[in-house]
Amino acid sequence: MDALARSNFIGKEAQPDAARPWIFTRPTAKTGIVSWLTTVDHKRIGLLYGMSALFFFLVGGVEALMIRIQLAVPNNTFVSHAVYNELFTMHATTMIFLAVMPLSAAFFNYIMPLQIGARDVAFPRLNGFAYWVFLAGAIILNVGWFMRSGAPDIGWFGYAPLTSKAFSNQFASDVSTDLWIMGLQILGVSSIIGSLNFIVTIINLRAPGMTMMRMPVFTWMTLVTAFLIILSFPAITIALVELMMDRSFDTNFFEVSKGGLPILWQHLFWVFGHPEVYILILPAMGIISEILPTFSRKPLFGYPIVVFSGACIGFLGFGVWSHHMFTTGMGTVATAAFALMTMAIAVPTGVKIFNWIGTLWGGHLSMRTPMMFALGFVWMFMMGGFSGIMHSAAPADSQQQDSYFVVAHFHYVLIGGSVFALLAGIHYWFPLVFGRKVSELWGKLSFWVIFIGFNTTFFPMHFLGLNGMPRRTAVYDGNMGWNTPNFIATVGAFILAVGIGIYFAVMIYTYFKGEKAGRDPWDGRTLEWSLPNPPPEYNYAVIPTIHARDAYWYEKHHRDEIARENAEHAQAEASHGGIHMPSQSWFPLVTALGLLGGGLCFGCKDAINATMSGWGMTGHNFGILFAIGFGVMVFLGALLWALEAPGGYHVHAEEEKH
Amino acid sequence: MMPVLPIRPLLRRALLGLAVTAMPLVFGGWSWLEGPQSTLQTAGPVAAEQAKVFYVTVWVTISIFVVVAGTLAYATLRFRARNAADEHVAPPEQSHGNPLIELSLIAASVLALVIIAVPTLRAIWYSYDVPEEEKANMYEVNATGYQWWFRFEYPKEQIDGSGTLVAANELVIPAHRPVRVNLRTTDVIHSFWVPKLAGKVDMIPNRGNHLWLNADQPGYYWGQCAEYCGESHAVMRFRVIALDEKDFAAWLTHQKQPGRTVAAAAMADERPKAQFASYKFTPVRRNAPGWTEQFDADPFGHWKQQQQPDPEEDPVLIAKGRQLFTQKTCAGCHTVRGQEGAGRIGPDLTHVGARTTIAGGLLENSPQNLHRWITDPNNVKPGNKMYYGTGGMQGYVKRNGETWEQNITVSDEEAHALVAYLRSLK
Repeated sequence: MDALARSNFIGKEAQPDAARPWIFTRPTAKTGIVSWLTTVDHKRIGLLYGMSALFFFLVGGVEALMIRIQLAVPNNTFVSHAVYNELFTMHATTMIFLAVMPLSAAFFNYIMPLQIGARDVAFPRLNGFAYWVFLAGAIILNVGWFMRSGAPDIGWFGYAPLTSKAFSNQFASDVSTDLWIMGLQILGVSSIIGSLNFIVTIINLRAPGMTMMRMPVFTWMTLVTAFLIILSFPAITIALVELMMDRSFDTNFFEVSKGGLPILWQHLFWVFGHPEVYILILPAMGIISEILPTFSRKPLFGYPIVVFSGACIGFLGFGVWSHHMFTTGMGTVATAAFALMTMAIAVPTGVKIFNWIGTLWGGHLSMRTPMMFALGFVWMFMMGGFSGIMHSAAPADSQQQDSYFVVAHFHYVLIGGSVFALLAGIHYWFPLVFGRKVSELWGKLSFWVIFIGFNTTFFPMHFLGLNGMPRRTAVYDGNMGWNTPNFIATVGAFILAVGIGIYFAVMIYTYFKGEKAGRDPWDGRTLEWSLPNPPPEYNYAVIPTIHARDAYWYEKHHRDEIARENAEHAQAEASHGGIHMPSQSWFPLVTALGLLGGGLCFGCKDAINATMSGWGMTGHNFGILFAIGFGVMVFLGALLWALEAPGGYHVHAEEEKH
Repeated sequence: MMPVLPIRPLLRRALLGLAVTAMPLVFGGWSWLEGPQSTLQTAGPVAAEQAKVFYVTVWVTISIFVVVAGTLAYATLRFRARNAADEHVAPPEQSHGNPLIELSLIAASVLALVIIAVPTLRAIWYSYDVPEEEKANMYEVNATGYQWWFRFEYPKEQIDGSGTLVAANELVIPAHRPVRVNLRTTDVIHSFWVPKLAGKVDMIPNRGNHLWLNADQPGYYWGQCAEYCGESHAVMRFRVIALDEKDFAAWLTHQKQPGRTVAAAAMADERPKAQFASYKFTPVRRNAPGWTEQFDADPFGHWKQQQQPDPEEDPVLIAKGRQLFTQKTCAGCHTVRGQEGAGRIGPDLTHVGARTTIAGGLLENSPQNLHRWITDPNNVKPGNKMYYGTGGMQGYVKRNGETWEQNITVSDEEAHALVAYLRSLK
């Protein structure tokens, strides 16, 4: 091991390197605000993602409640048309990009490396960067609430040509659409960076013996989702660049008066937008595929088929985008092709449900709160799947498209599906992350209130849609037969809000005062449960060796064999100087701040230029000049990131406390 | 002897009780599908075909649901741990799956989807365009979406000297005949949706879309824009009125006439008016409903009634209104064929008095509502071009830098005159 012995890393402890200028030294704070701002620990980054996502989940929830108040009675005046349009645009954008996606990312970050027996992700600093860039995008999207332009009001799908300057700036200068473009673009950067990191991690950092077909299903779904993200986001990136060029530099990709093609936007958007649906649901399916076996105390039924159907959904997900466009006059053949493809995607989705039921069959089901949410997921996702099949029949869809029937459908998939699974996941992994267990009574109570509130809100919407109520309408008349279902839906929304309130109140109480959980509280099957809780910074004192699919279950039933192997590994690792850890860094944050400033200045350039000319300074496009300034900051951040000390230090795992 | 529990009667009573309590739920459910924009109470073959496909999907998915959900419920109840001891017994057999079960379930799903796919494909071709054998009998209209109203053009109805017949917000079509609607837009994307007659098709810039429909009966149908199209999307509505052959021909003949004038001199001696109006305007709050139960009880009858001149009309007031129509620059954007105005920015008003609705199908065409619309348009339909102006035309307000200042004011008295004039345009 001569090469290793000469390695730069060996034997160095975490301390500033006196030989380098301060700017190139790596921060070492282990506690306090600096430790969080410079962190490269995948668990801390996971928590940052989780906390931000839950914050935006509440923001999006408040927006939803305001929408429901407005629609509680016909001809309501709670908010104006303009504000209502901002609310539904931002509710969707927030829930998709700022709540569900980052909450999934939180699980990817925290759980996935633990599940494959890794000590961190492949590129720790890049991981931190992905989070800070996400936060920058989130701020840019929401900053409009505090500006005269208001928040974006073009719908989360931003159909051209409503997004063009000719319409958004008709009566007043409006930068909300520019901010929406910059915000989404920057969020895309974050998602792609994060996904590349996860892919490299899963391919390269699996513990010895963990073959692809021994990976936990959640890790598999992380991998599939990451591929979906890196393949689908380029489409919306292109669309957003074109729109930005149209708005900022008078190009004519979508400008009708110059012969642009608005339909082009729809294709680009949904080539991204439909895989995005699976980006939201596949992590949820992964979580469910962990919880059901654990609480049934038997392996997942048909593991290879569940994995392949997940990958199959990923592939087919790229071939169905135009089912969002059945009413755009695509012609008979295209409509038929997309209808059949959409029906085809129901098969692998159905397979998953069959296998989950097969997992329960013959098991010993312990009805703990995570299991309740997981079963709730299966029921609700099934309902959403059935209304999805109804949409695949294009002629029926021509009546349902853009009606409340669609609203009911995708909330069954996204709340009953994604959100239920994420709530299940929080309950499931809470003891591992925080070392405390949530009270069963309160957990189950929150489940039932959420379950009842959710169905009360969204089931009546099926009827509203079939009765002809279109989406995205701020007011409706009282003579259309829509009054009762709308009122019930609003009542349901408040029940749902109470349920969510109980859920988080209980979580906060448990964090401070909850019952301490021992190691492996659920009799877990996957590797992360072999760790003490909360897991140490280096995760595994000894990198485990994997012999079977449910690695920890195997370990628990073959203790002697595993102990012998671990002792050998520990010895080998000690001879390399101990556990190698990555150093913290300021530059992910600095570079992301550059993107934040640049995005804000470019998005607000009209407002900035107007302000500057108010001060008597004209003749330059100051917004773009400032944005270029921040661009230099991004460049310098990345440069210094490359030049800073390589860092890395070793720790020696103490004798583990049990 | 053990006393025998009367199980059967108890069960029967329980079932009956359940049925009775479920009744309002079920019937409530049906009444939720009976609105004027119901997609299931159809009034034409296109919508009927689409509803038929929907019902196929419903029955197939309900059948799957019963089987799958039944199994899920059974498995959950049958295999759940009933107490703490149950949870701590030795784990169950660690089985990994069964390929035969998997394959047969996949085959069953594919079969279920084929049942849906066949009628779906048939209906895609049927609903796309008027069937060949009916093309000879087809009537064609052009519909154009604007922020936030619809313009309807009858390309086959030529009017000497002024092109084709144009109407707005109320599309009158012949019943019992296939009607092809060519869908266009000049600004953003809109969607043409009359649920009882046909599913929606979008109006997309630079794209020639169309749909077809056929009203089984003469009648009055509600429609609405179904694609988000900006601030006042929610209030972009319209109506379709289907007439039988004779009525439709009569309607066309009347529509081709220029705007109606009321002979003032002949009537002045009988009714010397213009001092007071036939209604008293009461201001209403923003978003106040513009419909009445009285109208909804017989919308088609009201439409027919609306075609007749108002017996109470006041020629002096109407003449004053006609002057104001020019003075207040209404004529810059609106056309009253044969009278003042050749504007094409706003809806054609040649026969506005004969329509049952105003403001893009939002408000019933009553004096009260007309008054509300022309005195305070931005509170009825926020962001509209009548208020803000467009292109070279100034509206009720005009831009002064970043602020807006009043350009047109309509006093209460002037509004009365304008209302009388517009209502006389039968």
